[in-house]
Amino acid sequence: METRFALFFFFFLSIALLSTPVFSDLVITKVDRKVENAGPDVVSQLLLTFPEYQAKKLAYLTASSAEGKGKSKGSSANLPVEVVQPEGVPPALTFYSVPLPRGLGKGESLNLDVFAVLTHSLQPFPEEITQADVQLVLFQDSAHYLSPYEVKAQVLSIKLPSPRVESFTKIQNTKLVDSEIKYGPYENLPAFSYSPIIVHYENNRPFAVATELLREIEISHWGNVQITEHYKLEHGGARTKGGFSRIDYQARPNVRGASSFRRLIVKLPPRAHSVYYRDEIGNVSTSHLWADSRKTELEIEPRYPMFGGWKTFFTVGYGLPLHDYLFESDGKRFLNISFGSPIAEVALPEGSKDISVSVPFSVKQWDEVKYSHLDISGRPVVVLEKKNAVPEHNSHFQWYEVQATVQKLHEIMVRCLTVHDKLEASLRDLSRTGDVQACKATRKAADSLLKELSKDLKPLLVFLQSSLQAAQIYQKVEELVVKEKELQEKLMLKHTMVVDAYEKKSAGRELENRIAALQQKLTTLRQEVDDLIDVIDEI
Amino acid sequence: MAPKPIASPVPEAWYPSMAALMLVFGLVFTASFFIYEATSSRKNRSIAKELTTGALASVFLGFGSLFLLLATGVYV
Repeated sequence: METRFALFFFFFLSIALLSTPVFSDLVITKVDRKVENAGPDVVSQLLLTFPEYQAKKLAYLTASSAEGKGKSKGSSANLPVEVVQPEGVPPALTFYSVPLPRGLGKGESLNLDVFAVLTHSLQPFPEEITQADVQLVLFQDSAHYLSPYEVKAQVLSIKLPSPRVESFTKIQNTKLVDSEIKYGPYENLPAFSYSPIIVHYENNRPFAVATELLREIEISHWGNVQITEHYKLEHGGARTKGGFSRIDYQARPNVRGASSFRRLIVKLPPRAHSVYYRDEIGNVSTSHLWADSRKTELEIEPRYPMFGGWKTFFTVGYGLPLHDYLFESDGKRFLNISFGSPIAEVALPEGSKDISVSVPFSVKQWDEVKYSHLDISGRPVVVLEKKNAVPEHNSHFQWYEVQATVQKLHEIMVRCLTVHDKLEASLRDLSRTGDVQACKATRKAADSLLKELSKDLKPLLVFLQSSLQAAQIYQKVEELVVKEKELQEKLMLKHTMVVDAYEKKSAGRELENRIAALQQKLTTLRQEVDDLIDVIDEI
Repeated sequence: MAPKPIASPVPEAWYPSMAALMLVFGLVFTASFFIYEATSSRKNRSIAKELTTGALASVFLGFGSLFLLLATGVYV
């Protein structure tokens, strides 16, 4: 194993550390790297290394490989990641193995993106602050990328939420620009090189931690998916000491109590209805709800701002339309919903049989029975529990592939529309120059091009149709394709009609009327197609 | 086969009117049942008529209450 380690090089490597605005005690690391096999053997798997203190806090890890370079990356495929423990390595390191999509021969290279989310790895320091203090946190990492392979060149950049940095470990090639600390580039590092760094900086983003979060999903075949979420929320940042002064807080909330938060935003799926919140002591008193076609947002304000170590409990419930989440395929019905919380209880309708669950990560699972309105034998409930859940777990599994396909489809549609524009332009030329032959030639070229494009479209549609994740989009896509086809036919008809009329020099009023009617239809169709393309573009 | 979204067997917008209509029918049948019981004598009572009126009243009141629950947002 060791010999193989040495034969590997990591070329370019950059680690970005970000803080997300909502749950910002998360550390998100993104590693883009190019791997080259410098040895004679073909290698089929790669090892990723995390030190023990990070591995414990690792909540989410994905690796994806991409062919090509830069922005024009081809399809990126997610690769399964597994924990392995090779022999002869220190136990303080945790290894994850990533199988490569194809074996790497000598001199071949591959781009690999690794995306990891760490929870609770920002340590508040000092641990107790008063209401007037800002919150400072410590972050530890290694300036050198910890890897079982030799690293040819690497850069580590740490993006901080604010430019105020108390201190950071200075080694060679360290730079602080605005709110970004750059370590490197370092070249030709041996395997397992480690250089600890500590960054001490200001982070006033609220550290909202749900100590307990239970999500109940209840399906009714009468047209509703009822979701109830029970939150036990804690501010996980530096604890407050001394009393809380409401006057100071009201006068200058941003200065006094900078690390506190006063409102919580609950992101709900689109088309959520009957939204409510409730808590035992009536602590939440103000709320707002916004909705658009992509999401619904509920903002609730507890009566007191949340300071470090303070807690609040509340319940949020809402209904979702059934047809967005429940689907039928091969005589079986399945619910397609995001996880959304560490514990999810899915109550199925009475009499459901042969229940199976597919979750893209490991969970603890058990069954229960729940009695609700008008029940006789009770509803089967599947309970799923996951430790250390982060927002990234909400993403659907097949989503990447679906997205790539939708993008390709979008491109094809746009190309079809440009062909349409060309046809229209040729008609205008005809009325100006009267060159019938050129116009006909344009039509022929456009026809063959459109045929080719529709051939390209077919496999994409088949994939989308077979993919469960795309079920919601598929309707829109299908509609778009059908409308586009109709538009194409109508346009061709108009084109032939105009050209024929020109050839025969017959400009009858009846013909003109017919063309005008056709034109009207064309304009509305074009409008619809444009709208649909916009919708799909947003996806 | 492509996954097909599943919707309610009855459009959700119909729930309130279905509830009102069915409850009204149910109550009418109940009333007619009681009127029949009170006005007819023991001799010329027909068991078939009693049973049909009772069954109709029960079905309409039952489904009416179900749709009333659904219309108010208690999805069973």
